[in-house]
Amino acid sequence: MKRRDEVLVGLLLIVAVTVGVAGTVWLARGGLSSGYEMYVRFPWGAGLKNGQPVLLAGVNIGFVKAVKLDPNGTLVVTLAINNEYQVPEGTTAAVAPNGIFGDQLIALQPERAVTTYMARGDTIPTGKGTPTTGELLAKGDSIAKDVEALTGALRTEFVDGGGIANLRQVTADMAKLVTQLGTIAEAQSVELTRTQRQLRSTLAAIDSGTVDSTLRAFQTSATNVAAVTEELRHAQTQVRSILEKLDNGTGTAGKLLNDPGVYARLDTLLLRLDSLAADVKANPRRYINLRVF
Amino acid sequence: MPLIATWRALGKGTRAVLREIGAHGYYLRDIARAISETDTWPRETIRQMRVIGVESVLLTIIVAAFLGGVTAFQTRFQLFPGVQLSAVGLIARQSIVLELGPLLTALVLTGRVGARMTAEIGTMRVTEQIDALETLAYDPVAFLSLPRLLAGLVMLPALVMLANVAAIGSAWLTLILATDVRTVDFVDGLRIAFIPFQVVYSLIKATAFGGAIAFVCSYQGYIAQAGAEGVGKATARAVVITSVAILTLDAIVAAVFAPFVQA
Repeated sequence: MKRRDEVLVGLLLIVAVTVGVAGTVWLARGGLSSGYEMYVRFPWGAGLKNGQPVLLAGVNIGFVKAVKLDPNGTLVVTLAINNEYQVPEGTTAAVAPNGIFGDQLIALQPERAVTTYMARGDTIPTGKGTPTTGELLAKGDSIAKDVEALTGALRTEFVDGGGIANLRQVTADMAKLVTQLGTIAEAQSVELTRTQRQLRSTLAAIDSGTVDSTLRAFQTSATNVAAVTEELRHAQTQVRSILEKLDNGTGTAGKLLNDPGVYARLDTLLLRLDSLAADVKANPRRYINLRVF
Repeated sequence: MPLIATWRALGKGTRAVLREIGAHGYYLRDIARAISETDTWPRETIRQMRVIGVESVLLTIIVAAFLGGVTAFQTRFQLFPGVQLSAVGLIARQSIVLELGPLLTALVLTGRVGARMTAEIGTMRVTEQIDALETLAYDPVAFLSLPRLLAGLVMLPALVMLANVAAIGSAWLTLILATDVRTVDFVDGLRIAFIPFQVVYSLIKATAFGGAIAFVCSYQGYIAQAGAEGVGKATARAVVITSVAILTLDAIVAAVFAPFVQA
């Protein structure tokens, strides 16, 4: 019994010590193989603590192993980098916020894609970090001043310059206009309703049989008109042919109209008829020898 | 007249407190003297280490597992949007290692081990077994109190170490199974601002609590009044006093060592 107690107690103590030591080492150093060390010197590192992550291009490659203040006033940060990762040449380190509640991380930013790497134990140069709270406050202060100037200008324009009064007047006018438009629209709506009702009653009154017969009469008339038109076209052609003959002097009528000789002979004939008429008038007995019995 | 009565009551209470402190001081002196009785206490110490430590492992781990899981789960859902998830690991580790691990383990063991200790010694007192030991020239303090005190001082830190590991393991398991926290977030959080002294701080508390449990409970058993009722009263008083002592020591250790656990 005594020996069994000793074994159990000893086993428990060994397990507890092993677990405790192993857990502590794992948390503090990242395991028995804690990778290799690299260093960064920061002029300012508020919030930096050991255990905070080290990111290379956003990938977690290690953690902060120690943060010590150098007598020369700079902060020496020891980074524990996992053995499987290397830091490319030209990489710069910066303290970056991790979340919004003041936690920090070390951001390693490679300058470009290279195949040469910094040696283990090197000091990584510092780069431009993210804005500090002071810088953000200064920026916010600047923005606030701009907003204040803008507010002043707006006040001058709208309050002192009477812009708001104009806006109110415009708004009132717009309201009035909208009211008028509403009235017009209402009246138009009534008129349209009435017209629609009349149209509907008119359409209802039209007898479809009458419409059909009327359409058929229209069709017959149109056919007749087409025949008349054809006949007129034929007559026009004939008239044009006659006129062409007259104009060309073809035929009796054409020659009568166009031949100067005919004209001369007619003229002579008329003259002779005149002289004949005069002679008849003067000497009727020469021509008219009327005897009764 | 009431003033005189109040004054007398105050004086009586003060005397009682001073008498208790003095009695504890004598008891502590007897324990210190008993260290020289090397033929008596080492063997019993091993047995008490088994009783206090080995037999409490399962209970301690179960309590710690629930403690870690609930702590991590609640922490995750109390985070404001935008807070990095690694904060869960950080808060869980700090809560468990610095406070809840040692404190809850000690309070649980007060019920399980302390009460048993008081009942055992108290029963021996009321059945005059302690008087018999004295008659046989055995130092009862060397046989009963010193082994329990040493066992408490040694085994509580061991149990707290196991409890811390079990709680953190349970927290990790709970987070990856029941929440959106990933292993990498949790491990990152565990490592943030960790310094080995935080584990030492946890062990300091555990040692203090272990000593308090063994000392107070064995003393209350040692002075138990006759009868079963006396043992029962002694046991109840031991649990109450030990619990208050543990919380008081917790505050004292925090006040003294808290500045050193900051990374």
